[in-house]
Amino acid sequence: MATELTVLPTQNLEAFKGVKKLTVEEYFTSGHRTCQGCESALVMKLMAKAAGPRTVILGSTGCMYVANTTYYSTSWVVPWMHTQLGSSGSAAVGTAAGLKVLMRKNRIKQEPINVIAFCGDGGGADMGLSSISAALTYPEYNFLILMYDNESYANTDIQLSSMTPYGANTTFSPPGKARRILHKRWKKNVAGMLAAGHPECRYVATVDASYALEMMNRIRKALTIGGPTFIHSLDPCPKGWDYDPIQSHDLGELAVETGVWPLFEIEDGVLKFYGKSKGIAQGRKRKPVREYLLRQGRFAHFTDEDIEYFQKKIDLMWDRWLIPGAVCIEMGDDIRKQLARAEQEVAAAEA
Amino acid sequence: MTGSIEVVYRGIFQKTLGQRITRGIVLAAVKEGKVGISFGRYGDSPERNGIPAKSFAVVADNEEDLQTYLSRYEPTDNDVTVAVDDTLCKGVESWAWYGLQPINKLTQPGGVVLTTSMQSPEELLEDCHRKDTEWSLAVLKGIASFSGLWVYKDDHTDVRVLGAIARLAPHVVKLESVEAAIQDEWQDELKVTSARKAYERVETRKVGPDEGNPEKPYEFQLPKWWEMKEGLVIPGIPVKQDVEGWEGGYRPGRNPTFKKFATRTMRPVIDFEICTKCTLCWLQCPDSCFDVTPTGHYDANMEACCGCGVCEAVCPVEKCVTMVNEAAFGDNASQFEMYEKDTDTYKSWLKGKIEDKVTTDRYHGFQLRGKYEEEVQEIIREVTK
Amino acid sequence: MSVSTKAAPVADQEMLISGCAAIAQALRLSDIDVVTAYPIRPYDTVMQAVAKLISNGELDAEYIVAASEHDQFEIVKHASAVGARVFCGSSGVGWMYAMEAIAVTPALRLPMVALVGNRALDDPGAFGCEHNDALCVRDLGWMLTWVDTAQEALDTALIAYRVAEDRRVFLPCAIGADGAFLTHSEVLVKVPNKEKVDQFLPKYDRGDKLLHPDNPITIAPQVNEDWVMEIRKQNDDAMRRARGVIQEAYRDFHKIFGRQGGNPFVESYMAEDADVILFGQGTLSLPVKVGIRKLREQGHKVGFVRLRWLRPFPTPEVQETLSRAKAVGVIDRDYSFGSPNHGAVLYNELRSALYDLPNRPHVISFICGLGGREVTLDSVTEMSEILLKVAKTGKVEQPNYWIGVRG
Repeated sequence: MATELTVLPTQNLEAFKGVKKLTVEEYFTSGHRTCQGCESALVMKLMAKAAGPRTVILGSTGCMYVANTTYYSTSWVVPWMHTQLGSSGSAAVGTAAGLKVLMRKNRIKQEPINVIAFCGDGGGADMGLSSISAALTYPEYNFLILMYDNESYANTDIQLSSMTPYGANTTFSPPGKARRILHKRWKKNVAGMLAAGHPECRYVATVDASYALEMMNRIRKALTIGGPTFIHSLDPCPKGWDYDPIQSHDLGELAVETGVWPLFEIEDGVLKFYGKSKGIAQGRKRKPVREYLLRQGRFAHFTDEDIEYFQKKIDLMWDRWLIPGAVCIEMGDDIRKQLARAEQEVAAAEA
Repeated sequence: MTGSIEVVYRGIFQKTLGQRITRGIVLAAVKEGKVGISFGRYGDSPERNGIPAKSFAVVADNEEDLQTYLSRYEPTDNDVTVAVDDTLCKGVESWAWYGLQPINKLTQPGGVVLTTSMQSPEELLEDCHRKDTEWSLAVLKGIASFSGLWVYKDDHTDVRVLGAIARLAPHVVKLESVEAAIQDEWQDELKVTSARKAYERVETRKVGPDEGNPEKPYEFQLPKWWEMKEGLVIPGIPVKQDVEGWEGGYRPGRNPTFKKFATRTMRPVIDFEICTKCTLCWLQCPDSCFDVTPTGHYDANMEACCGCGVCEAVCPVEKCVTMVNEAAFGDNASQFEMYEKDTDTYKSWLKGKIEDKVTTDRYHGFQLRGKYEEEVQEIIREVTK
Repeated sequence: MSVSTKAAPVADQEMLISGCAAIAQALRLSDIDVVTAYPIRPYDTVMQAVAKLISNGELDAEYIVAASEHDQFEIVKHASAVGARVFCGSSGVGWMYAMEAIAVTPALRLPMVALVGNRALDDPGAFGCEHNDALCVRDLGWMLTWVDTAQEALDTALIAYRVAEDRRVFLPCAIGADGAFLTHSEVLVKVPNKEKVDQFLPKYDRGDKLLHPDNPITIAPQVNEDWVMEIRKQNDDAMRRARGVIQEAYRDFHKIFGRQGGNPFVESYMAEDADVILFGQGTLSLPVKVGIRKLREQGHKVGFVRLRWLRPFPTPEVQETLSRAKAVGVIDRDYSFGSPNHGAVLYNELRSALYDLPNRPHVISFICGLGGREVTLDSVTEMSEILLKVAKTGKVEQPNYWIGVRG
């Protein structure tokens, strides 16, 4: 049959109906060697908890590899394997393909097994983007790729990645006497890019572990929908962002409240904002980015001008982008006119 | 003749401080016509915040002596071991190895452990492990200095430690050369004063082999190559631990070989009386350190808590979770068990810990632009007085 | 491992196929589970053949067209970890593009089998044969074998799975096949029936290293200096054990299929009484053998030894077959710029292997047939004459020669 496509069933992971209804078990547990207040370690924990015991996890090189699994010990309860820095996409495909064929040939029990591959922003948005992009085109495999974005190569020594915010201090972008701002690139919108370019990918979301329940439910939804799916998590990093670890949670919230980090999900091509971003998208006031920036040492060299520039870019995203946080394109006049006409026609027809 | 100094610090939030001290020693030694090297333990280089790491300075009269000393790679008989956070006196479990290393392990017989602390030497000796030989404990009064890689909290801890070292190990560096090096490096007379005052004020106490914490530190035996599983395979962690009398509760399985006893600089104390069991501390803890008790409370297990304070930050009930300086604790016992056993005793214990401001006042890094500057003024006034 | 040697009822089928297609047949017979393709000449004809087998329903495997060689090798690496029998391959700079994934596979002890259709490395872009691509894994823990004919390619692929998946070994195996002549020419190949192959090749069983929720393990945590040497030593031990496992595999293969009865590690041609011996690997054996027959007619005692396994290197066999010669000429279809004597890779390997012999022959390096240039009969004559002169005089005037280069 020309159009035959076998997709295996997925686990039906219903949304947790509140923090008191969470499963108690941890599948990523204590004893990792991450920093105090590591939000990415929290992401791992929540991700594994949301996925449950019948899960295989692949982790690409980065903090969540180096710090979590120091040889001869591990913090993983579920099976876990290292993959190379740029290989989260390939690891997901290979694992899902292997499980699928072995089930078909009755070499292992037929059952839905979650496959999750994670990568950092360096592994995902820089080196591994092509591998992730390729992975999201295989509709016959069920897996989730989660990118934990702590906005730098924080394991290596805090070097800038393409996800490092404008102007931030990193070991590759130190503010100096001649150049206060060495890093002038603006962060990619990876979730939007991947959703826009991969029609077979049925679920893409942005998450923030400060909103744990909402985050876990997005992971559960991705795993339940099946096919190749992608989640982008913003993770405050006390080491690279330079802040007291007690602020991890607050900074995660501030990122959303200032509009720096829009929370949205795209399910079968339909985008919805959720959490506090929903209100912001509907026009609720955002907190000034100043509140977010001045609590991080990496922006301590910012002048008022720099802060203003940052604010303007965020305003631009919310005011002008086709979809804030997701699609940095504006509609051309022709399309606007056409849409306006269509609306009028609909209104006229209804009248 | 050679001399070596080891600085034990808490990863990235004290990396600059550690480096400034070991660099300062070498720069001072150069003033005396000596040669030297300043280096960090490469294995510690990911520099997790909170997790102990080391930086070394070795100085010698000539290149050949220096080479002879360095051929051992890592100094194992330091004239002075500096702990820039006094909670490190509980021991060092580095990112790079297994097992707990007593803070004085690499201090040579008769050598000195120097720490910046508000505690008395006697209090600190409850934490420092016993050593076969005599050694000294030196205390430089002050709170542990923490700041990240980008914004340095210049509270003069670096130069104060240098001044103290000149007093404790004059054969390594003399005060005059330390002063000269500070002046060269920072052109700051006030810093020179801080160093001199520290030289004068550092207090030393001799410690005999029968003094100190008698606990045997946790050791780890490295297996032979044929004892390790091939293919880089490590067994996963069991999903739960069976605990007697905990029916209905849940204690997760935990990494059996890496505990957070030495990683922690603060720990949460929990008022179980006012806890609403909202789950947030348990849910938001990046280290999964909370055991779920049979009563549905959340008990921070000290085997796994690294002291980040997120539980305090997320707790919606005022004063239910309070972060307290790790120095205030002598054991890692379960708070919930204490509470269950005798609620009144627990409550007064809890109150005592929270109120003990001498040891509880501390924080670990950048909180808001301008905050360091305000504090530093006061600290410097105090230390140069 | 014990294998039943009962003769199978169905006879072998003879097919007119290329070396790459012969390997594809071996993959069909091995019932591989996951295979990844990415185009680069010349190896990729194997993937074209696999694609046909898949689309015709002759092979049931996950057939994945990847987005790069790195993806290709990473995908099969992970499929292997969950228990799938996998196949992959590449050529030239494609193999280099995948090198990170290739380098990490041995320590993971994943029995991947890969074809390297040998191709010159860029720049300049060229798709002729050179061995430097495959040689890049010489030191990494890959088993490395070179085949000469399409038949040998098919047989070796089956043997490669048997050896790689043996739990005493669990190492990946690369099969070197010279681009063009072997990969692309169609010859008659005996394709055995499935029953025989099933007797020879047990199912891949990853045992307690299987990544599966029923066997919750952590694979490949980060290590520091306390562990790396021990891990390398384990790999070294596996490579040492591979030698015996290879011998067992060939013995069983011969019993079941009636082929591959000779020495598994070296093929010796008129070498027993030879004064001088040419030594090399891969398809150059054809012109060399023909050239030697001519020289023998002229009364020159020239022989040829073809190396079949470079890793593990068969030191005893090499010493045994070469020790009686006065001079040995190593024909390398590769280079190692700036190496000892400016010789090439195989030359220096061989010289090292012979060093401990009490009466070792003189060894000369011949760099020949680079970038797909043919090793001609004239070249064989030229190299033999150089060796005969060395044998006669006992003097090495020049340790290495570029044969067939203009100038």
